Amino acid sequence: MKTKLIFLIMGLGLMFTVSCTKYPPASDRLLEDLAIITQYDTKIDFNNYHTYSLPTSITKITDKDTTQVTGSTASAILDQIDKDMQSRGFLKVLATDKPDFGISVVYYQNTYVYTYSYNYWYYPYYDWYYPYYPVYYSSYTAGMLNIDLVDLLKIDPVSQKLYVRWNAYVRGLLTGDHTTLEISNSVHQAFVQTPQIKTTAN
Amino acid sequence: MKKIFSIIILVMLSMSVIKAQESSTIGFTPSSYYTFSWNTTFPIGDLNKWVDQPGPAGFDFGGRYIIKNGLTAGFNIAWQRVSKIYDAQTYTIPDKGVAITARNYRFTWMVPFQAVIAYHLRPDRLISPYLGLGIGGDYMEHHLMIQEYDIYETYWDFSLTPEIGILAKFGQFSSWGALLAFNYKWTTNRIKIYETTSSDLQMLNLKVGIVLTIR
Repeated sequence: MKTKLIFLIMGLGLMFTVSCTKYPPASDRLLEDLAIITQYDTKIDFNNYHTYSLPTSITKITDKDTTQVTGSTASAILDQIDKDMQSRGFLKVLATDKPDFGISVVYYQNTYVYTYSYNYWYYPYYDWYYPYYPVYYSSYTAGMLNIDLVDLLKIDPVSQKLYVRWNAYVRGLLTGDHTTLEISNSVHQAFVQTPQIKTTAN
Repeated sequence: MKKIFSIIILVMLSMSVIKAQESSTIGFTPSSYYTFSWNTTFPIGDLNKWVDQPGPAGFDFGGRYIIKNGLTAGFNIAWQRVSKIYDAQTYTIPDKGVAITARNYRFTWMVPFQAVIAYHLRPDRLISPYLGLGIGGDYMEHHLMIQEYDIYETYWDFSLTPEIGILAKFGQFSSWGALLAFNYKWTTNRIKIYETTSSDLQMLNLKVGIVLTIR
């Protein structure tokens, strides 16, 4: 009888342990997952715009310097933007041909450093001692791709300001290991979730 | 054919053992029971819209004291969690032209604490079925994790749990036994995270565990 009980308790314990799944920590979630955030100007009609121009490179801005994203990654991003803009009816032109939209593609990469320490409560004196040494530090690197659709038709005549009619952030991109397909899909998703970007003018 | 015949014989033998045990008495009416069980939660109602997957992470501890005949009163404290990862979920804020697509890690963990009244149909038998009702509160934490962010809300609210179950003692002279129970829980708890607004959280729970019987 005792053996039966021990086996039952062990079985229950095992089932409970197996059932307790744990989520990956925040730093891993940031590395693995992509978040695509878009916002468009709800007051404009995209049918009034016909053409766009696309840069040939992507600017990379980090904590230290400004460089360029090159190679297959840059091609995957720019090609996908090009495909989606054309599928929405826009016509690609050179920057010198006075396009209606200028597309800006910038990649930001920042390293965030933070500190933390353990705090203690002492019984029976409920005093809080802060900070209690040692103080630990950790860091994580976050990357974000920013795509802007800049209105080149309506430039503020006084301030010469340009208006962004749509922007897309792909947060987490190029932070961890993402395939070219995942990069293309994330850029495509930015367009998918903004069906308002389309023109029948051409 | 031989296999089917063997299975039929085995089932008939098991039935006769159960029947024999059902009629066996333990020679006394217990004064109290303590139960510890593994709990699997099946979300229904609005809770199913939030997490549409059973949660096998949970345990339950309870105590019951005989008031009169088979009528018992006691308590139940549990810990339960339901969770699921949803890929590429899109949230929109149409008037602002905003859309967000991301992988969602959603989970709810809860601590129900209830007063329980139960009626044991045959408390002096080896196999003792019961009907119970738990009334009390639930502490719930609903989490939505996107990338490194963890958005969560906590609530304390009322809950009601009708339950049916069976206590099966291991033998006439054993204080220990097995518990198998099934309950339905309704709670006034709610979820209000982003576009998710749920106010009708319900669940079914399956409990498998052990019971300690006190004379």
